[in-house]
Amino acid sequence: MADEQQEPITRLRDYGLQSERLLWPTKGPSRFEESLGVEELERALGITTLEKAVRWAQTKSMWPDTFGLACCAIEMMSIVSSRYDLARFGMEAFRSSPRQADLLIVSGRVAHKMAEPLRQIYDQMLEPKWVIAMGVCASSGGMFNNYTILQGVDRIVPVDIYIPFCPPRPEALMEGIIRLHEAHQAGIPPAYERNGVAT
Amino acid sequence: MSTVADKTKIYEGTRIPARVPTILDVPPELRDDEDVLQVNFGPNHPSTHGVLRLIVDLHGEEVVGASAVIGYLHTGFEKTMESKTYWKCVTYPERIDYVGYQNNELVFVLAVEQLLEMNVPTKATWMRMLLCELNRIHSHLIYLGTSALELGAISMFWYCFRERETILDLFELVTGQRMHTRYFQVGGLAEDIPTGFYPEARKFIEWMPHALDDYRGLLDKNQIWLERTVGIGKLSAADAIALGQTGPNLRASGVDWDLRRDAPYLHYDQVDFRVPVYPNGDVYDRYRVRMDEMAESNNIVRQCLDKLERMEGMPWIADDRKVVLPPREELHTSMESLIHHFKIVTEGFRVPAGEIYVAIESPRGESGCYLVSDGGPKPWRVHFRAPSFVALEATATCLRDTMVADLIAVVGSLDAVMGDTDR
Amino acid sequence: MTQWSDLPGYVSDKDGADMPTVTVERERIREACEYARDQLGFAMCVDVVATDYLEWGGKGVSGYIGTATGRDLNKPMTEGLQALPDPKPKRFSISYHVLGLRQGAPRVRLQCWASDGESVPSVVSVWPTCDWHEREQFDLMGIVFDGHPNLERLLMPEDWEGHPLRKDYPLGGEPVRFSDAV
Repeated sequence: MADEQQEPITRLRDYGLQSERLLWPTKGPSRFEESLGVEELERALGITTLEKAVRWAQTKSMWPDTFGLACCAIEMMSIVSSRYDLARFGMEAFRSSPRQADLLIVSGRVAHKMAEPLRQIYDQMLEPKWVIAMGVCASSGGMFNNYTILQGVDRIVPVDIYIPFCPPRPEALMEGIIRLHEAHQAGIPPAYERNGVAT
Repeated sequence: MSTVADKTKIYEGTRIPARVPTILDVPPELRDDEDVLQVNFGPNHPSTHGVLRLIVDLHGEEVVGASAVIGYLHTGFEKTMESKTYWKCVTYPERIDYVGYQNNELVFVLAVEQLLEMNVPTKATWMRMLLCELNRIHSHLIYLGTSALELGAISMFWYCFRERETILDLFELVTGQRMHTRYFQVGGLAEDIPTGFYPEARKFIEWMPHALDDYRGLLDKNQIWLERTVGIGKLSAADAIALGQTGPNLRASGVDWDLRRDAPYLHYDQVDFRVPVYPNGDVYDRYRVRMDEMAESNNIVRQCLDKLERMEGMPWIADDRKVVLPPREELHTSMESLIHHFKIVTEGFRVPAGEIYVAIESPRGESGCYLVSDGGPKPWRVHFRAPSFVALEATATCLRDTMVADLIAVVGSLDAVMGDTDR
Repeated sequence: MTQWSDLPGYVSDKDGADMPTVTVERERIREACEYARDQLGFAMCVDVVATDYLEWGGKGVSGYIGTATGRDLNKPMTEGLQALPDPKPKRFSISYHVLGLRQGAPRVRLQCWASDGESVPSVVSVWPTCDWHEREQFDLMGIVFDGHPNLERLLMPEDWEGHPLRKDYPLGGEPVRFSDAV
């Protein structure tokens, strides 16, 4: 038809909806497809890019790894408790195995003896993975500027969010987690993609 | 009162490993056995004990060898405190035992005050006692919640942390901080007790016995709990004394020893409380001792509140201007106050030369501070006697004749906090 | 009152605000501990602490009057002392805090002195709890305990060099502006 040659009608199958191809390979465009243009089709169906959908799913169930080291671990345990309920973010499942975890919340001071296990755990996590440095000791060494404490975990792992205070209130930790969710949904890549391999 | 029946036969029938007291060696007949597997319960593991590493030899499901490796949280408190003035030092001890934080503050502050031979006002000592007992309840709640969680009684975690939140609200009301309150000062308290604290504290202590009944109802006669804790990880009285155990671990082994009653500090000789002692020395008895201690601490808090409510308007910190900062209003009018303030803040107050060891009954046992002063504004040597350090020495003895599933129950019942162990 | 002079290796004793301090010869500390446990009834060893007295009193007496070497105008706050403390016999003191589990909670501090390089007999056979305490003091202070069944580093990594709590070991960390202010 002359109409079809002048204006190619966008088909649903161009967006990946392939069910018609299997059932009726030679089917022509439907009335729905004929009545819409390209932009209308996108808006009408709520089509999103695959990345956006995947990012939404990742933020809604970002499982942390049990990496409680010191005092901040007690406050991390209290966000799982009923008052500061972390389950509303889908994150109450703390995975003990790093291979099943997405988020490493380094809560507490990292001694040089612990730095090697920390890096091993980080390496065992699968991409995409995020790191939150919880508390001042993880962010920068805190009040301990001495021979045995690593002055900030960003020396060995790339960090996405730094949360100050000693120890952070559970609300502060949740603010950090929510900001991480928002950053990820907006498309900001995790820290290892920004910094490259950890310095 | 002593249960050390015969001093010369102190270690008869001991279960402490013979070669190295803290390492359970694989018995010689199993050493070449191919079925013995060495497993590393690494510093990062599912249980909530912090960074403890256990290297365990397993023959099938039985534990035949065990040793603990610590030091993954060594923070160098003692060396760091040698370079800070006494005022700044007070923030450090709290982070050592980060669950019973005010007890560590207390022991350091008591040591400095004893070297200074200061008199602390009564209101401050009663408030210190109240906060330390609340901290004891807080620490036992965390013990109960995390131990039950690891043995599968997952809902206990949420119940215990509900009460814990109320205690932290009380701390925040008084001190402004949930954890690591830094409220005890050399000479008394940092600030006066705010209004509204006493009614809130009363509400809590009226509610607490109901919460304890809830916990007892869930666990005390629970068949699964009993099977997992009764008879596991036994520690006899003689072994406990030989291994230096104190606190609930010692009282659960049948030794009737509590520093609050036997060597009273603060005002413990003026309050009535019972000391729970149970004979068997297994995980279940340690659980029962801590449950009873929570109820007794509640009692002590009630008695402290009765005393404190009548002390409105009394001073909360000592008057010795060489050590304690003057109130800020005085700085506008008095030259001596200004000079005292200047000297104390810039140089720090000086503590007379000497050495002292002060011990208190923290939730984990005897927590002590050994302080050596050379007469200057900074400590020469500070050492903290950590009850968790000593409790972990008993893991090898308690893990005799256990299975791998009991490993977590035993380590949890010793209630070791790794910050306290590694300092 | 207990007669401390019956202790094997007794040198001197001193009363303190918290507990008496009994100084014992270093070579005979194990016999002294056995005597304390068996004859005097101190059933529990609570703590083993080593202290490094290098440059004890080295800050000198301070004040705006002047120090021994004159007045340093760049450092008016010399953190000096008001009186020189008593000199110590050797570099390291090793204190054993022991407790008797009976009425009155008697405590005593058994103390012995050692120079750098001198070893101290281990008391693990007397009180098994001293195993880790002695290991910790070996790790952090470098004092070798003779007869200890497993004298290895406890808190620092196994390949660490040096003994951090000694006075000639630097605090470490990284330099921060004004970090050497009081």
